Amino acid sequence: MTEIAIVDYGAGNLQSVRNALEMAGEDPEIAATPEEILAANRLVIPGVGAAGHAIGRMREAGIDQALNEAIREKARPALGICLGMQLAAAALYEHGENDGLGWIAGDVKHLREVEGVPARVPHMGWNEIEPADGTEELFDAVRGKRSFYFCHSYTLRDAPEDTIAATVAYGVPLVAAIRTGTFFATQFHPEKSQIKGQQLIEAFLEWKP
Amino acid sequence: MLHNRLIPSLLLEGGRLVKGTKFQDRRDAGRPETTARAHNAQGADELLLLDVTASREGREPDFETIALVAEECFMPLCVGGGVSSAETAMQCMNCGADKIFVNAAAMDRPELINELAERFGSQAVMVGIDVMEANGEAALYDHRTGEVAPRGWKDWMREAASLGAGEIRLMSVDREGTRQSMNTDLLREAEALVDLPVILEGGAGNVADIDRAMTEGATAVAIGTMLVFSDNNIIQIKRHLANHGHNMRH
Repeated sequence: MTEIAIVDYGAGNLQSVRNALEMAGEDPEIAATPEEILAANRLVIPGVGAAGHAIGRMREAGIDQALNEAIREKARPALGICLGMQLAAAALYEHGENDGLGWIAGDVKHLREVEGVPARVPHMGWNEIEPADGTEELFDAVRGKRSFYFCHSYTLRDAPEDTIAATVAYGVPLVAAIRTGTFFATQFHPEKSQIKGQQLIEAFLEWKP
Repeated sequence: MLHNRLIPSLLLEGGRLVKGTKFQDRRDAGRPETTARAHNAQGADELLLLDVTASREGREPDFETIALVAEECFMPLCVGGGVSSAETAMQCMNCGADKIFVNAAAMDRPELINELAERFGSQAVMVGIDVMEANGEAALYDHRTGEVAPRGWKDWMREAASLGAGEIRLMSVDREGTRQSMNTDLLREAEALVDLPVILEGGAGNVADIDRAMTEGATAVAIGTMLVFSDNNIIQIKRHLANHGHNMRH
């Protein structure tokens, strides 16, 4: 078994995630096949870009099934980032309609379709999150103002209240993080959020869900 | 709500940082990776790194230096200069860039913006719009020729937005390196035309200039000269801005 692996499904910048994990003292593997995914004790699912294309690539490579098995059945802790969070939803509306992994109910929609969100989209920059109750294990490690880097045009809507781990204000509250079972995921980029991001990553590495 | 952003803007030439005035007379401005390390440590909100040689000569950017800089950046790194295809952009991403900046190559071939947005998502595509004064009017500038480009800047910016740009870096060429203060009139015009985040650059000479720009509506400011040839640093600038009521992460 490898200690920690970064899932590679062709959806973006693995290097930043690798840098952040190495900074935290880890020696991450890259997992691009189902076998490599299932060989890891802990997983990070990064993701940048279009959800529609990404979920297609995941399915082609059998990565969706491997993630289901590793995270939902074998209960291995996993951190999803940005697209890596959105893919867990039921339905994805970028580039047509696609099914997500379906780990939580909810749709991923364009920010312009959400009433109350400012006209200026993407939601781009540092914003302060509001952790939900019961997320102390993860967010208490982040001391002071919990501002992280957001960079997205799509957002998760209608997720069940008990899966929302944090919100962020952009005109209206948006989902900033979710947690379901052993899957914790953030809309923001902890690997690009300097010290606070590092603190959160370290909290995830210690997390025993 | 979103904090305002303060973004060091770095120009890369032959593996070194350089800085000039109105895109001319460049002087050596230090080592890229050590400068990036300092900016990261000081809480710069992002970093913009443009390879001016690559852009001017129509070549690929300096991937080796990008990778060294990326290793130091635990905040988003936007990279550009000579990016004229999704493949080149992919190489930049593989070196650790988070966003891609295009300017001249996109003016030559606008579909590039769409190709990048399709591949990486709009949020990773920053389009540079350089504006200069010509005959009393604001005109689109082509830094390769040093002259006014054939089309209007507003038209081009709107097209860039419709093609999938996620962000605009608006450069006031006349003010670049001059420390004359920032062109917030230009910013206002731009923000009225596109619903994208707009980063303003050009003319910040001291922290009061940035303060004024933000008071007049700028939410993201890129600075070059101020960080290179002075004693200014990110911590001090952000603290000043926060003390003057701006929503800064500091």
